[in-house]
Amino acid sequence: MNIARYKPLLPMAIIYAVLIVIGLTVPGMWQPIAYFMFYVALGQAFNIFLGLTGYVDFGYVAFLGLGAYGMALAIKNFGHLGLIAIPIGVLLALTMSILLSLAVGAVALRLRGAYFAIATIGVNEGFRYLLEGVRLWGGTEGIVLSGFMRKAFGREMTNFLSTFVSDVLVFIIAFAAAVITITILNRKMGYALLALREDEDAARVMGINVTKYKIMAFITSAGFAGLIGAIAWTLKLTYVFPEDVFNIHYTVEAIVIVMLGGAGTLLGPMVGGLLYGIMKYYLSVVFPGIQLLILAPLLIITIVAFPEGVVGYVKRKAQNTRLSEYLR
Amino acid sequence: MRKGWMFLVAGLLVMALLFAGCAQQQEKPAATPTPTPEKTAPEEKKEAQVETLYFGAPISLTGKFSKEGQMSLWGMQVAAKWINEVHGGLKVGDKVYKVEIKYYDDQSNKEVVQSIIERLAVQDGVKFVLAPYSSGLTLAAAPIAEKYGVLMNSHGGASDYIFEQGYYYVVQTLSPASKYQTGFLDMVKAIDPEAKRVAMVYEDTEFSRSVFSAAKKHAEELGFEVVFDKTYPKGVQDLSPILNELKATNPDIIIGGGHFADGQLLVSQLADLKINVKAISILVAPALPKFYDALGTRAEGIAAPAQWEVGVKYSPEAAEKLGVDYFGPTQDEFMQMFKEISGSDEPPSYHAAEAAAAVLSYAYAIEKAQSLDPDKVREAMNDIEFMCLYGLWKIDPETGKQVGHEMVIIQWQGGTKKIIWPPEAANAEPYYPIPTWEEKAQGKLAVK
Repeated sequence: MNIARYKPLLPMAIIYAVLIVIGLTVPGMWQPIAYFMFYVALGQAFNIFLGLTGYVDFGYVAFLGLGAYGMALAIKNFGHLGLIAIPIGVLLALTMSILLSLAVGAVALRLRGAYFAIATIGVNEGFRYLLEGVRLWGGTEGIVLSGFMRKAFGREMTNFLSTFVSDVLVFIIAFAAAVITITILNRKMGYALLALREDEDAARVMGINVTKYKIMAFITSAGFAGLIGAIAWTLKLTYVFPEDVFNIHYTVEAIVIVMLGGAGTLLGPMVGGLLYGIMKYYLSVVFPGIQLLILAPLLIITIVAFPEGVVGYVKRKAQNTRLSEYLR
Repeated sequence: MRKGWMFLVAGLLVMALLFAGCAQQQEKPAATPTPTPEKTAPEEKKEAQVETLYFGAPISLTGKFSKEGQMSLWGMQVAAKWINEVHGGLKVGDKVYKVEIKYYDDQSNKEVVQSIIERLAVQDGVKFVLAPYSSGLTLAAAPIAEKYGVLMNSHGGASDYIFEQGYYYVVQTLSPASKYQTGFLDMVKAIDPEAKRVAMVYEDTEFSRSVFSAAKKHAEELGFEVVFDKTYPKGVQDLSPILNELKATNPDIIIGGGHFADGQLLVSQLADLKINVKAISILVAPALPKFYDALGTRAEGIAAPAQWEVGVKYSPEAAEKLGVDYFGPTQDEFMQMFKEISGSDEPPSYHAAEAAAAVLSYAYAIEKAQSLDPDKVREAMNDIEFMCLYGLWKIDPETGKQVGHEMVIIQWQGGTKKIIWPPEAANAEPYYPIPTWEEKAQGKLAVK
């Protein structure tokens, strides 16, 4: 293993450390930072698929939703065993989202470009209507856990879990997704995905098993989405409603974040997530009511100014300098 | 080309700095909005000093609840204006506080709500928060409010389950979902003890389900017989199969609905299938003026529950009769102040009235408790009962759920929306039984 190739993780670790320090020391900044990190983690996870393969999955939030339900079901059913319910929930969330990604991937990944995007939109909506129609897992009434968690884990513990532990775990998920991204980039899989992103037919002709690598990236990305759903949704908000969690809005936000930061780069989702989260938060605090009118042009300007994303642009500028080792 | 980009980057940076600057500037004056009286009041000055007390609010000014959010904000501002200008500020000890609403836009978004609650509680030092609009957002905000020990008063979260989770600091001002259709059943029982058979047909959503499971229980307690109980999915296009089934059960009254579109469809298909009953109450749809625009005379006699309605009769006299205090602007004052604050001719919706009531309940409780400590105010809330333009206010001490306020029932009579129940709020008699569809088709109105 070549340590030098993991150098780009360093600036990321530093930024996360700074964010954690700000969150812990500046009063009132912990939740906003947790909120920025939700976007960073979402972008980082989505980037593994969208960024590396160039395929746009419009049903991405379905994995997040399923992960959220995995955690909710685990707490509901194993809450009486104590905190062990949470690792069970994490496992369940992973399993459920990966199983769904296998099913979706096996069918939809045979399609390309726009056809893939169209096929995936259905997954999310379909899932929501399935839950509501079959009255599965509480149906439209969802699963509300706050009271139950307070009884099972105690009031203090529940507060601690949903206002601190879940936020720290989101940092860990975001970082883990980054480590996986750079590992993929450094391996044969990364080169295979690069080839397939640039020209799928050419890659196939060169003897690359494109379907295999696409599915691998898809499953990894979906697994992380499931974890985000379990931690940043269920554990943090302590309830799940199908209508809220299977909301295509989050997919769109994830796409914006990845594009903003630079699709396929390692640091892109972090930069994109932070930019997006910070703009959204401060605009709503400073200009309540008209912030979307400001946010939209800002996003457009950023995308026009940096067609390859902020990180893509900086990377190109920094080519052949010492800085380039730290940018990926 | 390159230069152009550099300018854009520079521009973005400047804007970012600007925002950061604005944000910080905002923080400074707000850092101690609820100063502890002992520390800040100089010993020499004994006369009443005016200080500002902030009530914090995440408001949905954008996103799917933007309409409701804007109305609630106006309602809160009207209540604050009344407290400051008519009531003369909040008197706590020998100090007088002016009330101001400190709000941020939550974008109807859960993640933003949590950050904003923390910001209000920590950076702005707010002790009294008005909950965000909708049950989901209120539930998302509750753990954060509980963590910082700030009171949160729900004016737009009707679901009962919020108050079944054991949150001590969360109280409710509007009627919970479980009471939406119970007033109508009480009314029918009072007018016509002969009506026994109730049919329920409603949308399969979390909200409607909690409304109708409580309605069913209440109906059975009152001695009604629930002969039909079915849901239809959201976004339904045709209700005739389910309504044919309903017709076969031969009900005396029908309660149902969910949102606007399905409520309207329900009434028009009841008309098509000529299902005649003595009274009909539909959630949400009939309370909106466009319901009558869409259905014309077919809407005659259709009733709906509403949290509040322009024209209700809650007044200082009504309060005196019940032996409780009246606090806040009268209906006329409210309408006028609302016009001044909103700057438009749009009449206030119930969202404005319930938000105003939430602010008034804080003010009333703070004066009763003679303290700005959230724990003491919460305790005082357990014992208070008062009336305002929105109706009665009283909570269940255990859960914080609203038990005093009653839903008003409206009925379309001769093309206008009349309030028919409860008697202390009504401005018209109930029209019962309602005209049949055949009579309505010939132009008969629900007017005596």
